[in-house]
Order: sequence, then structure tokens, then C-alpha cells
Amino acid sequence: MKLRALLLLPVFGSLALAEVPQPADPILAAMQQELAREKSDLVIPGMLRPYFIQYRLEDIHTYDAIASYGALTRETESHQRVVRVEVRIGSEISDSSSARGDGSLELAPADGDPAVLKYALWSATDDAYKNALRAYATKQATLKTFQSAPTANDFTPAKAVTLVEPLATMTLDRDDWKHRLIEASGIFATSPETRSFAETVQYSSASISALVVNRYTVNTDGTMLRRGYSGYTEGVSVGGQADDGMNLGRSNGSVATTAAGLESDAALNKRVIDDLISFNELRHAPIVDAEDYHGPVLFSGDASAEVFNRLFVPSVEADRPDIGTSARMQGAYQSSYKTPILPTFLSVVDDPTLRSFEGHALLGAYKVDDEGVPVEPVDIVVHGKLMNYLVGRQPVKDFPESNGHGRAALGQSAHSRAGVIIIKSSEPLSAEALRARLLALAKEQGRDVYSVETLGGELAPRLLYRVSPDGKRTLVRGAVFDELDQRAIRSGILAAGGKPYVAQQVGTVPGTTIAPELLFADITVKRANEEQQKVPYYPPPALPKD
Amino acid sequence: MATELRRAFAELGSAIEPVASSVAKVGERLPPQKPYFISYSVADAESVTITSQYGAIMNSNETHERTADVQVRIGSPAQDNTHDAHRTSALTTMALPLTDDRAAIERTLWYATNRGYGKALDALEKVKTEQQVRAREEDSSPDFTIERPQVDILPPEPPLSVDRSAWESRLREISGVFRQYPNIFYDTAVLQATHETDYFVSSDGTKVAAPNHVARLIVAARTRASDGMDMFRDETFEADSAGHLPDQAEVMAKTQAMAKGLNDLRTAPITEPYNGPAILSGRAAAVFFHEVLGHRLEGQRQRGDEEGETFTKLLGKPILPEFLSVADDPTLTQYNGSPLSGHYLFDDEGQPAQRVQLVQDGVLQTFLMSRLPIAGFANSNGHGRAETGKMPTGRQGNLIVTSTKAVSDAKLRQMLKDAARKQGKTYGLYFEDISSGFAVTTRRSPQAFQVIPLVVYRVYVDGRPDELVRGVSIVGTPQAALRSIVATDDQPQIFNGLCGAESGTIPVSAVAPAMLVSQIETQRQAQGTARPPIVPPPPLDEAANSTSSPKGGR
Repeated sequence: MKLRALLLLPVFGSLALAEVPQPADPILAAMQQELAREKSDLVIPGMLRPYFIQYRLEDIHTYDAIASYGALTRETESHQRVVRVEVRIGSEISDSSSARGDGSLELAPADGDPAVLKYALWSATDDAYKNALRAYATKQATLKTFQSAPTANDFTPAKAVTLVEPLATMTLDRDDWKHRLIEASGIFATSPETRSFAETVQYSSASISALVVNRYTVNTDGTMLRRGYSGYTEGVSVGGQADDGMNLGRSNGSVATTAAGLESDAALNKRVIDDLISFNELRHAPIVDAEDYHGPVLFSGDASAEVFNRLFVPSVEADRPDIGTSARMQGAYQSSYKTPILPTFLSVVDDPTLRSFEGHALLGAYKVDDEGVPVEPVDIVVHGKLMNYLVGRQPVKDFPESNGHGRAALGQSAHSRAGVIIIKSSEPLSAEALRARLLALAKEQGRDVYSVETLGGELAPRLLYRVSPDGKRTLVRGAVFDELDQRAIRSGILAAGGKPYVAQQVGTVPGTTIAPELLFADITVKRANEEQQKVPYYPPPALPKD
Repeated sequence: MATELRRAFAELGSAIEPVASSVAKVGERLPPQKPYFISYSVADAESVTITSQYGAIMNSNETHERTADVQVRIGSPAQDNTHDAHRTSALTTMALPLTDDRAAIERTLWYATNRGYGKALDALEKVKTEQQVRAREEDSSPDFTIERPQVDILPPEPPLSVDRSAWESRLREISGVFRQYPNIFYDTAVLQATHETDYFVSSDGTKVAAPNHVARLIVAARTRASDGMDMFRDETFEADSAGHLPDQAEVMAKTQAMAKGLNDLRTAPITEPYNGPAILSGRAAAVFFHEVLGHRLEGQRQRGDEEGETFTKLLGKPILPEFLSVADDPTLTQYNGSPLSGHYLFDDEGQPAQRVQLVQDGVLQTFLMSRLPIAGFANSNGHGRAETGKMPTGRQGNLIVTSTKAVSDAKLRQMLKDAARKQGKTYGLYFEDISSGFAVTTRRSPQAFQVIPLVVYRVYVDGRPDELVRGVSIVGTPQAALRSIVATDDQPQIFNGLCGAESGTIPVSAVAPAMLVSQIETQRQAQGTARPPIVPPPPLDEAANSTSSPKGGR
């Protein structure tokens, strides 16, 4: 049986925009059989029939392990299957769907019993159809209370697509990784570089998380998909408090499509030591000035990718506007079509067809989106001007067609989401040139400037350096940024580097952002003024002597 | 064995040390706010859970977790940081290393204790302020009881071993029963097996390790009548280990009977309003006593400002007919040879389990006490129970109802008919099964403590066969029914299950004989209006034996 399966796979491993063959995969076959039955029979006499039904089965396999202080504290694995059924009533012009996305979920059998799978689909379909009927009536009534019609249709037609990819499987040497995590989380107490300040390390943990998803999709367009993805995330987190009580921490990790793509054992240990050393440096670092700074800040590629993920990406993902408004969509760039949103030397493309970049296999890559639409590269920003949004099958004004960006989180409906965002400068500077430019500004303005290596959540700097005109770098702590917003990226970027940083996340929808270093002209650096918690009430237990 | 013993000692030793050091050192730095009590409660639990539906496995997994509940109390037993609404301020929960790494365990406990101390300080300030601005409390009892230290280190549980593939096959067969019932739109058969060792150390000298193991097989199903009324049945099998659960033939027979019963219920006539005599089966009476009496006798309910009705004024007074007595006895592992799931050796505050006579000859004697005192009761009686991660409160273990006025089943049935006839009724009601938050339902709202009849028959006085009815709901406060119990049968039945309340979900048992109640008022329940499925279900028999894994599968 195993041999036959292997022989069969390459036959379906290619993308075919043709009629639906009889699927060899028993799951897809069961899904199609139930879909055919529901398509012909599902109607309450006198009520509307569905005009679109989509079935998606998700086979979700996760593994997580966490170690703390050099000992394993958690190891969990789960494997389950969920079906999601989407039913649309009405027509593509106006249907039962809401901005949130609609559908019904059921657990599906883990052991692939096709009869039970069909039963779960049947039950979810019944539920989804009834909900859709109610939603359609409510929505049509609501629309009547508004003066103007919606600015776009509710749904876009799509051609039938067949794509059956090999199944994704989890490949992870668990014992090896557990060993690595135990070692990494215990380094604070054992490494000669960190031993001297081990007492001040209040937490030290390391984790590995693996997610392998296989998605099976069939819909009434005739589309049939079997696609999988894998995401492996490794992370460490160390931290504690400065003597004045300020919470300080370092946490970082690597993300890859295979376990082998994660950082090596040696690199992981080195990173932990670096994190511990920088935590200790932060503890002794001066607090940022009490008075605000407004001026140049150089962002590393890592920090720049974070800035774009927060300020840019969500605003080019076209989400449906609130009902009754004449807006094109949600977000900051809803009325910025063909206008400048970045400096002229920057262009941005989303290219999920790019499978790897400088040796990194990209998490955001895919061929066909979760709504059955093949994806092509999209030029979002060309020489600073916004030329395209990322669109799924819920169109927005001026963008009536999907460009293959309908992507779904696990168990959720598809929304417009980016895949592989690449920010590129037409006038890239080398790292040295960029640094020289920063120092020139410092000299010109006769003061210290700032350079940021990494950001924490909410765009707060984690490793921020004050840089004097002569190039001396001083680590500071306790700062937040202000006025780091869409205006700053539109008209406040002076220059960009040429060395792209690849930021990947498994997240709810896997994605990649590739960004260069960016030099901002005018960012505010403020003191955080957060409440400082008490330092430990009593010292930690003595570390074992070795 | 020896390794395991060393492991237990290693863990306990490391746990005790930080307790001592934290009491000493915290005290040094902040003399007025030295904690007066710290405890570490560690649950080391291994479990296997396998879920099936319609003959297919939906989920099958194994877990091993060690969780520490750290309690820190500041102030004094008379008034501390847990007062009133701040009860959870004493508790900090954290995952512990799964291996016996002493340094890592100690440091984790330190981290949790340090955090917990900060929380406790903050809460104590709030408590003090609130006391200044409020009127005098009705119950001015202290916040914590003073107890004698307990020391008892029992050997830990051996590693859990469950033949998963054998159980997966069994569960497929069990839940596969429902394939013959297309109108049962939800079913599940779940195996849960747990081995747990609970460690408890405290600054007042208690040091306890107690093993605990249980296996549970739950079968539940749901259907909907054509008028939209939902109906539910469940069957729970309990044993000390998966190997001791009833054999497959017995489980299959009970599952088949349950499926058939539920299917019959779907088309049973709907009840009419009724006010007259009824019998509660032993199982139904057990659930009824657990919900209606047991929960209301939990100590903390007699205390708070928000608890509406208290039993404090009824102490020493009759609350049941004098032929009934009620005890809660967690020291029992079984009753007439059947396992009881409310059994434990030490409660979650390190106190030894005790038999407590709650009601003697109808007269209320005492309450289920944790270490939270109430007026008139200054000590725990070993009923402080909680799910891991929650603050313990007074809870039930094995609630046992006994009767001195027991008659045979046949006699009780005759008494029902006689009573119905006397009241001018053509029938009396027989409650075969009732449900509550007790069973596998997801309802966890603690104030509910309501009972929902699941299976009710009309017992006709003229000798016609009993008739199943659906949609029965009990009107008014169910306590009224407790006083109108006339007699019981002589065949006590056991109900094992999980009970949810403020301190989480815990295993409990209730044992009671069938009871004749002279007066119970029922009406038709408020029912769902959901329309039954539009398209008939896909056939479930076509692929009953094709459970092989898919091509190219995992």
C-alpha cells in the first residue's frame, strides 16, 4: 500500500487547470461525494438554494516542547482533523456573507473513516445553510436602511482548479530537540560567560513548536485541492529586572519550513549566550533621556520588517468596508490608490510564488490560495505609489478580481492576507554607507542619534543604541518610539540598505517579510515611564556548584 | 520502586527548602508583612484520552504534566489577603519540570512564590481598605483554619500504561453502535485514564504525598425531535484503572440500550403539566441529592454576602424526613463492590479525608468544610477540594444517602400507584434518569445546581404499560421535593461523575436508593426551535469496515 501511494503522488503533484479527475485520495473522494449530494438536495422548499458551497478539511498536527531553567516542563502533541463548511446564499452581487466570514465547524475522524467524514460534513452543511439563510435575510434588510449600495460585489467567480500536492509530514528529532532546549534554557547557570550574573536571571526558557497542516478543499466551482504546509519555530526567552525594577528581557528565535532549517545546536547556544549578555548589559545600561528625542533613527532589517508588518501589510490587505459606508475597504490606505505611500526609491511586491530566498525556504510561499485561486506576484507599491491591493474572492472597489490572496487561518474563513512581502530599494546603500549617513546626520545636527537592532511587541525597541557623532554606541533601556506611523514611512525614510532581512512567522496565516535596513529622518524616542515592579522579595535559591 | 521513592523525596525536599527560606528571608526584609502560611501543592499527572464518534477515532493522546499550586497568605488567620472576593490572590500556578531536576524545580517554585507574594501584598492592602468602608459582615469568621500538621508520604503512582490500540478498537465498536441510529446526530465515547500523585507541603509542617488513579469511560449521545426538542443521554463507567472497566459485552449492551432509549425518546409523547407523586430511581435520586442538597451544604456557601440562601439557621433542625441520613465519605473506595470516584486520601489542602455525617435522621448536623471557616465551624473536615490551578473550597466526595424506611421496588411502585389514585391521578411519574452539571455536559455555571429530567415514564394506576414521555421539567425549587419523600427502596445505586463548581471540576460519587416523593410539580420544558436537518444524513453503514488509513497517509 505504501509503495503504491508513493508511485501515485507525482502524477498529481502538478498544477492542472482542467476538469476534475476522480480523486485517488479517499478523503477528497468522500468530500466530493457529500458535496455532490448536498448541491443537489440542500434546499428548504420555498427558500433559496446555496449558490456556493466549499468544504475544507484540516489535518492539524502540532508538537510543542518547553524547557525552563535547564529542565523540560512541557511536551505536548496533538493531531486532529476539523472540517469547515461555507455556504453562500443569494448571488455574487449580494449574498449571505459577512465581513467576519461565515462557516460551520465539526470534528472529523482522525482515522479517515469516509462515512464518518461525510456525516460530519452533512451536519456542518445543515448548520451552515440555516445560518446563511438567517444571515441573508438580516443582511438584505440592513442594506435597505442605507442610501447607497455597497461599493463592490460580495464574491468573485473563480475557475475550477485541481492541485493535489504530496502530504506534509512532521520531521523532527524530538529527543535531540528536547536535549537542545534543556541545554539552552540552563546555559545561564552553567556557561562561564554568564555565570557571574546568573543570580539576576529570573526566567530562562527555550521552546520548539512544530505545526504541520494538510488542507483538503473541494467546492462547487469544481475546485479540488490538497495542499500542506509546515512551520517549525524555535525560541528562547531570558530576562529579569534592573535594580530599579524595570522588566528587561530578550526573546528571539528562528522560524523555518523544516526542522533542519532552524538554527543549529551551536548557533542556538551562542544566541542564548548573546541574549544573556545583552540582558546583563541592559541591566546596567543607562535609562534613555527623560526629555524626548526627535530625529534620525537607523532601523536594522529585523526592526524594519517588524515596522512594515505592523504599519504597512495590514493596510494593503483588502478587507471589506463596514456595511452602508462608501469606503473601498478597511485600513489606512483605503483611499490611497495610485498615490504615494512610501518614498519613490521603495517598491513592494508580494510574491508567494517565490519559494526560497538566499537559502531560506519561505513560509509565505504557495501556489493556490485557500479560495482556489492561483497566485501571481502582485506589485503593491511601485516607486512609492500604491498600485495594487492584495485581494481575495471578496472584491473591493476597482479590484473586482481576486489576485490569489484569500488565505485562511486554521478553522477560519479566508481573508485577504499577504504571502511573501519584499521591500526593495532602487538606490540601496551598503551597511557602511548607511552608517556613514547616520553619523553624518549626527555631525550635521551636532548631537547623538539612535540605532535600533530589535523590536519587541507594539514596536517598542528592545536593543536601542545611542550613537554619538564619532560613532560610539551606547546601549540604553526604557525607551519607546512615538510618531512611528504611516506618515513616517511615507515621507520620513531617508535611505534604505541593500542587505535584506528575512522575517518569517507561522502565525495564524504563515507569512514572510523581506526588508532592508531603513534610515528614518524623524522618529521620537521617549522614556517609557512604565510602573516599575518591585525587585524580587527574596533571592532565588543558590545555583548548584559544579 | 526505590527510584520512584527517591524521586518523591527529592521533589519534596526541594519543595520544602524554599518554603523555609522564603518565610525567613521575606520576613527579614519586610517584618510586618511576613507570610504566615505558604504551601506548595504539586500534581504530577499522566493521562490518556481517546475520543471516538460513530465508530471513528477523533482524537487520541497522552499527556504528562506537573503543576505547582503555590499558596501565599499574609496577614493573620483572622484576616488575610484571601478575604471575601480576594480568595484567589493566594494562588499562583506554574508548570514544573517533568524531570526531577532539583535546581530547576527550586527555581521555578521561587519564581512562583515571589510572584505570589507580590499578589498577596496587593490583595491584603485592598482587603484592609474594603474593611474600612463596609458595614459589618454577617459572618465575621476568620479566613483560615488552624490545623494539626499531617505527615504521610505514600508511594507515588507507577507510570500509566494503557493499551491504546486495544482501546481505540473498543471505542470504535462502542461508538459504532450509533451508526444504526441516523437520528442521533451527536455521539461520543471517551476513555480517560489518569495516574496522579499529589504532593503537598506547607509551612505549618504538613508533608503529604498521595497517589490517585482512575479510569472513566463516558458514552453520550444527543438527538432532536421533529419539533426541535433536543434530548441527551449519557452512561459513565468508572474503575480504578482502564483494565478494570466493565468488559466490552457489558459496555456494548448498555450503549445499545441507551441508543435505543434515546431513539425511542425522540418520538415519545410530550409531557403535560403534572402535580403529583413520583419515584426517583436510585441513580436519579443520587444526582438529585448531589445537586440539590450536597452543593448547598458546602461550607463557604453559608458565609459570603452573595450566597442567597444559607442553611446556617437550619443547623440542628430537620431538613429531611427522619428516616433519611446523609454522609459524605471520601475514605470509601467502593460501595457494594463498585468503585467510587469521589475517593481520596488527602484533600487539596493536605487534610486527611474524613467521613462527615451531614444529616442524621433528617436533622442537619454540619457542613462540608475546607480550611475556610464559617460561623460555628472553625476547622476543616477534609473536604477542601479543587482542580489543579484553583483555590480549594468545601466540596463533596462520596455522598451517601441511607434510609431506614426501605421497601422493595415492587412495593415502592405499588405505593406510587396508590398515592396517584388517592390524589385522583390516572398516572404517577417515574424519573429513571436526570442530568445536571454532574455529567459530561459542558455546563459549568456553579449557581445552576438544577436538575434536568432525561428519562421519565408515566406509571398508570390502571395497570397499562408504562409510557415514556419527553420534555419534563421540574417546577419551582427542587428542595421542596426533599421534604416530601415518603419512602425509599432497598437497592442503593451509584452515580460516578465529574462535578463542576467554583473550585473547578473534580471527580465525585453519589449513592442513593430510589425514592417515592408525594408531590412534585412538573411542566413542559422550554425547548429549542431548531429545525431538524434538511437533507437526510449520508448512509453510515456503507463503509463500516473501511477504516484503513488513506493512501499516502500518515
